[in-house]
Amino acid sequence: MAQGRRRRRKRRSEFAFVLKLITMVALVIFIFEGRLIYTMITFDPSGERGSTQSESETGSSDDGGETVSAAVTSQDGYLAGLGNAELISDSGTESETTAQTESESETEHDTVSNPDSEAIVREQAEAVDDSWFSDAVFIGDSRMEGFRNTSGITEGTFFTSVGMSLSSMTSGEVISDGDDMITVAAALSGSEYGKIYIMLGANDLGEYSWDDFKAGFIAVTDRFMEIQPDAILYICSCIYVEEDKVDTGDYINNENVDKLNEVLLEVCEEQGYYYLDFNEVLSDGYGSLIEGASSDGVHITPDYCKIMLEYLKTHYVAEPDESE
Amino acid sequence: MRKFIAFLCAAFLVLSVGGCGSKKTDDTVTMDVSELAEALLETVTSDSLSETASSMIPSIYYLDEENILSAVAYASSGATACEVAVIESTSADDVENVETKLETRVENQSELYASYNQSEAARLETAIIKSVGVYTVFCVCDDTDRAEEILEEYGF
Repeated sequence: MAQGRRRRRKRRSEFAFVLKLITMVALVIFIFEGRLIYTMITFDPSGERGSTQSESETGSSDDGGETVSAAVTSQDGYLAGLGNAELISDSGTESETTAQTESESETEHDTVSNPDSEAIVREQAEAVDDSWFSDAVFIGDSRMEGFRNTSGITEGTFFTSVGMSLSSMTSGEVISDGDDMITVAAALSGSEYGKIYIMLGANDLGEYSWDDFKAGFIAVTDRFMEIQPDAILYICSCIYVEEDKVDTGDYINNENVDKLNEVLLEVCEEQGYYYLDFNEVLSDGYGSLIEGASSDGVHITPDYCKIMLEYLKTHYVAEPDESE
Repeated sequence: MRKFIAFLCAAFLVLSVGGCGSKKTDDTVTMDVSELAEALLETVTSDSLSETASSMIPSIYYLDEENILSAVAYASSGATACEVAVIESTSADDVENVETKLETRVENQSELYASYNQSEAARLETAIIKSVGVYTVFCVCDDTDRAEEILEEYGF
């Protein structure tokens, strides 16, 4: 009788032990794999964005702790805007969330009109260092100026000015030489450069017909090449904007940016210049600037300027002796 | 008695003239340029400035590299005209040139912003350029009163 009771008690304690064990395992799974379970439940295999993951990283960065987010798409296995995630999270705490943040109707968006174009500068196996830019001149608007100020670049000459556009560049004196204002062409004549990087267009959106813009742009680059005949000319894509934050005019929108970039790529193809597609790392994958990559929708925050610098270091035209 | 009064007057004059000039030419003033630049960052509330590579500072402000002992600058992503720079010249003789270059920068930036962003052009009107000893400060910010207070604490 007493033996039977002991057996029952033993069975009960074994059962309680198993129950506790199962509860513990369930708790562990819930705590560590809750995200996975959530994804399994909410996964929609038919949806365009089923394989899209949005990562957000909250960083208390040097410049005051802003939140940056990078969209990760499965398109071509490329992670738009994430290539340098380590750069972003240097000093911050990281939190990862998975969610379908965009509406189902949105589709993934190519950042270039002709992805197979030979004018597009492809990623090199080896990154160069800052000394690569010692014979480079950077010409551009406030976005290029922001790049100089906040990317951490240590070499290179910058001829930039806020509000620079194709028309202001051709018609006016927009570059300071420390004493007076001079034209870009005059500034460019001061030294010999091996590389010219041009970033223009944000202030030209909505200004002209695209044909006029193209003709004007070719005239400008022709003039630059007359002054610096041995230089390699890189034309930087116009970077997407965060339309919701832009308050300077409806014409600054991503549809116009796409159109402008189409024209810039055409110019590169026709004139033998090189096209740098910054949107490869700054697009959210859906034809817009990564959320949080700009405070005002247009100018790029320091974390993303650092990503741009890394992009330039891995996207270049190898000099003949190096390629051999 | 007259001689004594004359001596007192002369001594007073010498001391007052010395006192007036000390703020501008005091070579004994020393400070940590990074610390001051960082302190001034609190006066910029409309933008998030980032430290610019020191090697770029001479070209940004058109300064002669040889005449700069140390310099720290925080600049904008391009969204605003805000910026903070603290420059230590190699000698007090170079300070005037630094100030001139900074004044030119304000003029040029104002001209560019005038056709681009009026509110930033207005902000540049309150730009602070001050020197003490071999140090020069350039500050385009939101809270100029606070900037002046900080500069006073540092002997400007």
